[in-house]
Amino acid sequence: MDRIECQWCKAQNQTGRTNCTTCGAPLDTKDLVTDSGWAEAPRLRDMTEFRFSSSTCQIEGEIVPVAELALAQGDSVFFEHHVMLWKEPQVPMSALNTGGGMKRMLGGMPHILSVAHGPGRVAFSRDHAGEVVVLPLHPSMELDVREHAFLAGTHSLSYSFVRIKGLANILHGGGGMYMDRFVTHSEPGLLLLHGYGNVFQKTLQPGEKIMVEPGGFLYKDSSVTMNAIKQSVKTGLLGGHNMYLAEMTGPGRVGIQSMYVHHGSE
Amino acid sequence: MSMPPAQSGYTCPYCRLASDGASRTCPHCGAPVDVRLKISDSGWIEQPPIRDMARIRFSRSTCQISGEYVPVAEMGLHDDDWVYFSHHVLLHCDPMVRFDNMPMKGAWKRMRAGMPLVMMRAQGPGHIAFSADHPGETLAVPLVPGRAIDVAEHRFLVATGNVAYDWQNSDVWFTTPGDNNSEEWHYPLGRTMDTFAATGTNGLLLLHAPGNTFIRDLQPGQRILVQPTGLIWKDQSVRMFLHFEYPHGNYWYRSARWQAKTTWLTLEGPGRVAVQSVFERPEPTGTVRRSSGATTQFW
Repeated sequence: MDRIECQWCKAQNQTGRTNCTTCGAPLDTKDLVTDSGWAEAPRLRDMTEFRFSSSTCQIEGEIVPVAELALAQGDSVFFEHHVMLWKEPQVPMSALNTGGGMKRMLGGMPHILSVAHGPGRVAFSRDHAGEVVVLPLHPSMELDVREHAFLAGTHSLSYSFVRIKGLANILHGGGGMYMDRFVTHSEPGLLLLHGYGNVFQKTLQPGEKIMVEPGGFLYKDSSVTMNAIKQSVKTGLLGGHNMYLAEMTGPGRVGIQSMYVHHGSE
Repeated sequence: MSMPPAQSGYTCPYCRLASDGASRTCPHCGAPVDVRLKISDSGWIEQPPIRDMARIRFSRSTCQISGEYVPVAEMGLHDDDWVYFSHHVLLHCDPMVRFDNMPMKGAWKRMRAGMPLVMMRAQGPGHIAFSADHPGETLAVPLVPGRAIDVAEHRFLVATGNVAYDWQNSDVWFTTPGDNNSEEWHYPLGRTMDTFAATGTNGLLLLHAPGNTFIRDLQPGQRILVQPTGLIWKDQSVRMFLHFEYPHGNYWYRSARWQAKTTWLTLEGPGRVAVQSVFERPEPTGTVRRSSGATTQFW
């Protein structure tokens, strides 16, 4: 039987389908890639539905999209509690202790992640115009995400957080002290992120580099290294300003968002 | 509603430059060619968003617009071409792109006005991309030699090297009584305005406007009142000054009428103006003591 490969998540789909069953990306539209190789994250059609485990996820709205999950018995998702938009009363809730209490407090991260268990429906959204980025993670994948960007992760993902290495990277990297790390083991998982503005992804070859505004960084494969590089901008008056860019070195994927808070000048 | 002219010898209604009309987008400003011109009953032309992945050509380089919520302008710079910008709009670049700074006059005044002290220059070859921090539209304004426009502060994204940049005081201000018999100064349009002019050859100016964008051609002497923070750009032939409007009514206390006033920016033709649909909510202010040139209306 002929199959269609989703260009975003590489999942195989039956011919005739208009949306990928794994990530919801449209299958009947041309991929949008800029001249320099940045692929636009697929714009999910309003009310697009896709599956994970025994559950479904539906994306609603286009300006500040909502991810509505219909959780099956035995499935669960974890999230930061303030992104939960609504839930059915019977959906049981529990808490996931992230560990590293003092470190997370210093990093401005929540100590506890909320967990919603099936059966029932629960919906998530963030607080600005942007896109929901759907990232199905195959077994043994590791993905690093800037803090406060993740919307929800499925129960098969293990969550941890990693300290950004190097004082210059912490002070000037624009991503805070920590990044969220999501790892899959034997089972695939699904990660939903919210990118502010539009989201673009580029796959770097081994050793390939790209310079990114630190506030624009959204996610990367853990194989991609990130270093803050100083660019001096002299004013000719009382010295100068320093601008920092994040130098990303492959191999792996890098995701960026087009609307960001600029952190990189002093 | 009216339709654009025939495709042969097409003149873009948004940038007013001619092209063969063969492609789906104007090669000078990126506006779609094959869409209906939308004009409101009062005469505002809705600027259509530049299509995702549309390309604009300048000199020997290209500019590609991607995304629709907060669009990204990605320049593919040729060896001989350069662009300048304020460093906080830089999103990503190839490592081989070379940077230096473009100092500007009046550093103290610019610092007081909250404007960047330096512009950065990026020299090709290589790709470099820019975006702003609000959902809205990227506007491409091609400038032919001899044409100059005035742009409200903080709307500028990037310009090609052959576009001359200057700035001046907006000269739109008023004062109200402050604490201890002092005067409080207000700049509804911002303290400064940017001016861009093409020199020698055609140049390209990119602006970012939050919300939707509308343009209007004012006849000589024709006036329109707009919210001051809604202005994006205007032709230099368009005059502007303040207009204070006081609504009729019964007020409980003396200063209420002053608080209830609307502070407008009057734009007087001839020339083209562009406004954005997102603007700052005006703060209530007290009695106007002094102002730049202004008209007043008591209803």
